[in-house]
Amino acid sequence: MTGARLLRGAIGAAGFLVVGELLIRFGISPELAFPAPSTILLEAVRLLADTEFLAGVGTTLTNWVLGLLVATAIAVPLGVLLGALTPLERAIRPLLEFMRPIPSVAIIPLAILLIPVDELMKISVIVYASVWPILINTLYGMHDVDPLAKESLRSFGFGRLAVLARVSLPSAAPFVATGVRIAAGIALVLAVSAELLAGGFNGIGVYVTVAGSGNRTDLMMAATFWAGVIGVLANVLLMAGERRLFHWHRMRTGAAGS
Amino acid sequence: MEKTNITVGALPIPDPVSLYIANAKGFFKEEGLTVTPKIITGGAAAIPAIENGSLDISQTNYVSTFLAVSTGKKIKLVADMYQAGPNTFNIMVPKDSPIKTVADLKGKTIFVNNLRNVATLAVTSQLKVAGLTESDVTFKEKPFPDMGNAILSGQADAGWITEPFITANQSAHGFRKLADTMTGQTADLPIAGWMATEEWASKYPKTLAAFQRAISKAQQVASSDRKEIEAMLPKYTKIDAKTASVITLGAYPSELNANRLQKVADLMLEYGYLKSAIDVNSVIVAPPTSG
Repeated sequence: MTGARLLRGAIGAAGFLVVGELLIRFGISPELAFPAPSTILLEAVRLLADTEFLAGVGTTLTNWVLGLLVATAIAVPLGVLLGALTPLERAIRPLLEFMRPIPSVAIIPLAILLIPVDELMKISVIVYASVWPILINTLYGMHDVDPLAKESLRSFGFGRLAVLARVSLPSAAPFVATGVRIAAGIALVLAVSAELLAGGFNGIGVYVTVAGSGNRTDLMMAATFWAGVIGVLANVLLMAGERRLFHWHRMRTGAAGS
Repeated sequence: MEKTNITVGALPIPDPVSLYIANAKGFFKEEGLTVTPKIITGGAAAIPAIENGSLDISQTNYVSTFLAVSTGKKIKLVADMYQAGPNTFNIMVPKDSPIKTVADLKGKTIFVNNLRNVATLAVTSQLKVAGLTESDVTFKEKPFPDMGNAILSGQADAGWITEPFITANQSAHGFRKLADTMTGQTADLPIAGWMATEEWASKYPKTLAAFQRAISKAQQVASSDRKEIEAMLPKYTKIDAKTASVITLGAYPSELNANRLQKVADLMLEYGYLKSAIDVNSVIVAPPTSG
């Protein structure tokens, strides 16, 4: 991100906050108990010293990262396998296409019923939701491998596994990384949603529920604000990682940094 | 004792305060119990949690429990928790609302936190007094924290509201009370209690007895000294100390009484929530007679 772009982004965000502030303080319905952005931001800063909230953030982050890791460990090998074996992919594809659009949040009640261990239940729904983007991206990556490169290696007498390791996997890797980045956002949504729906000992979602108990809309929004910040930070970090690791990919495809 | 570490589900509201009092005052510890509270999101949602063992004991509301029992769920009530008092569950309207009496609610929309639960039951019993029935109004579901704003923005005409939201909506928006729903048939209505599965209760009788003794002791503390409740509320909810000192609270009975609870089951039968009568004696686990 260049300095000028960062500046423009900051102006946009600040403008949005100012408009929000004015609308709530002098605007259409000053009666509504919706807190002004300045109040929310102040509470958000205060939350940084709230040990109960910080413990909750720790729990949410742990579930999120574990869920994402497990999803990657499942989806990448599966995607490579399906991508390498076309008949198998054709057989399984309809099932994938059926399961993929099921809203993951809708399976939370089922998960509560089936999985007695709280953290395991939450991680499971995170895994379910994040497997799909990684799997589908891995599949696309495998389809996108340069056939000429594969043929060349084969004609030099390299076996199936060697071609996979030397050409297919490196070529599919940037797609996998994009899949993981998309999944990271979805996984965070699920981590917090599972807490909102199922409760728990602590967590960002649990904190929001408890804040609601005291009619503290400002605290609810402040906790939600940090969930948003965590999501943005994760995306920026993963994107920077992608750029660093797969610089050659961007050069080849001509994809400009976004 | 069969089990010394238990996880107990509770909502972040004033009702289960004795769970936290018992922990803070060491009543559980005296019984050799380690109790870990876990935030739940509703009485009905807690039933699968006690069934699959993720909770040992949970808060429940009696209407949800009796509904579940009527569908064959093997649930036992193990201790009492909260009983309505005057002005603890009110129908409220905005200050400039044209609705002046319960009869004016005809054709209007009323927010409740849960459909087909104690909320609709309590409102319906007040409608009956005003010569209306359930079908004269429209019930809509809305969580308590969102009700005030949603009513102001015109999504409903009135709301069935409990503390601390009665106080909050009064002071923030000037909402006025249209009716106290805990009068007449529903006066002193038992609201919430502690439940376990039948299987759990028969598998861990000594653990259960220990829990019952400690909770009963804490209920006595809660009912005899309001200051104890006020001190505890800000620790497990976000109700601040100032609000805690002014909100209206119900009663904290220290003994599970079948006669009192029977009233809830009978009302549910009268208003068609239950198809056949429930003998509450068959649903409760009596407290231990001796330590």
